[in-house]
Amino acid sequence: MAEDTGGLKDAGPWIAKANPEYTVLIDRQQIVTKLYSMVNVPTAVWIDERGKIVRPNEVAFVDNRFQWISHVDAGPYLAAIRDWVAQGDKSGYVLSDRELRKRLTPASPARLMADAEFTLGEYLYHAGHGADAIPYFKAAQRLAPDNWNYKRQAWALSDAQRDYGTTFAKEVQKLNGKPFYLPRQMPASPPKPD
Amino acid sequence: MSVGKHFSQVALVFLCSFAIDAFAQVRPVVIYEGAAASPVAPAPFSPSSDLWVTLPDLTRATGFELKPQGVCRNELCFPLPQSREKDFLRRRESATWFNLSAFARLLHQPVARDRKFGIWDFGAPPALHNNYLSTLQAPGFTLPDANGKLHSLSEFRGKKVLLMTWASW
Repeated sequence: MAEDTGGLKDAGPWIAKANPEYTVLIDRQQIVTKLYSMVNVPTAVWIDERGKIVRPNEVAFVDNRFQWISHVDAGPYLAAIRDWVAQGDKSGYVLSDRELRKRLTPASPARLMADAEFTLGEYLYHAGHGADAIPYFKAAQRLAPDNWNYKRQAWALSDAQRDYGTTFAKEVQKLNGKPFYLPRQMPASPPKPD
Repeated sequence: MSVGKHFSQVALVFLCSFAIDAFAQVRPVVIYEGAAASPVAPAPFSPSSDLWVTLPDLTRATGFELKPQGVCRNELCFPLPQSREKDFLRRRESATWFNLSAFARLLHQPVARDRKFGIWDFGAPPALHNNYLSTLQAPGFTLPDANGKLHSLSEFRGKKVLLMTWASW
């Protein structure tokens, strides 16, 4: 799922190069970001055969090429996916309803307002009014400060230093050692099913 | 080219620009819960900080329609407070006008507005957005692949789905 306001123009070359056997969709309105309350990429959700969420948002690297910056090891995550595929509902990685409800929290009014501001910015950008979109992208970033999708996407659509007074590299530096991705709440080896 | 003809062309361009700007200011555009933008008829009464739409525009732009039991979309109905009907409904020029801004306030729905282009973006009402937290059903969506073919999450029912996001940026 490409979370790309630039749509096919920006995501297309990457899809062509990957030549995937799985379905790849292009989400130029960041619909999935908003529906699932995502804040970064790569993020994944596990959905079972009945359309039920069995693991909510978590960082989902499938290799270690960015480990030097992400500090996230893909190995345990890949092992968990394979376990789920093999074991289905019996996989110890499938979360109970109680645990899911603990991890899934309601979107706050500020977060939902951020989504509306970002949507308006996207509309103006797509209508050819990129400069007019910037105040709405800034409002979304202010209202949802933990949402890196809203920051990085907006910065990528113009000159970030000129229009936002910052860059991705500068913002990562500001973290000052704090993790860029929320650590996964996942055991290193398959847990025993209940 | 005579000065007079040149002037008339400049004046025409100026008038056209003015007409386009005026049109942009008075003809509102509604984006409702992320759906495609929909132009709506401007309200005939005095300037209002709220957006009033005709009942046909209400249905076209939002999917909601006015029914005796309230404002409804499919099985979902929101009753209007009886004591505040005039806050939501006005009858002018043989049409009934509905206050979409007041309805948004009733639903605690976020609204972002661009005055320059007359755009009103109504976001997700919290109760609808957060509904999946009780059902735990993955929220549905329909999006295109690189060839423009649309796919819905519901197509994958019966299979496990690893819904993974990435981006070019």
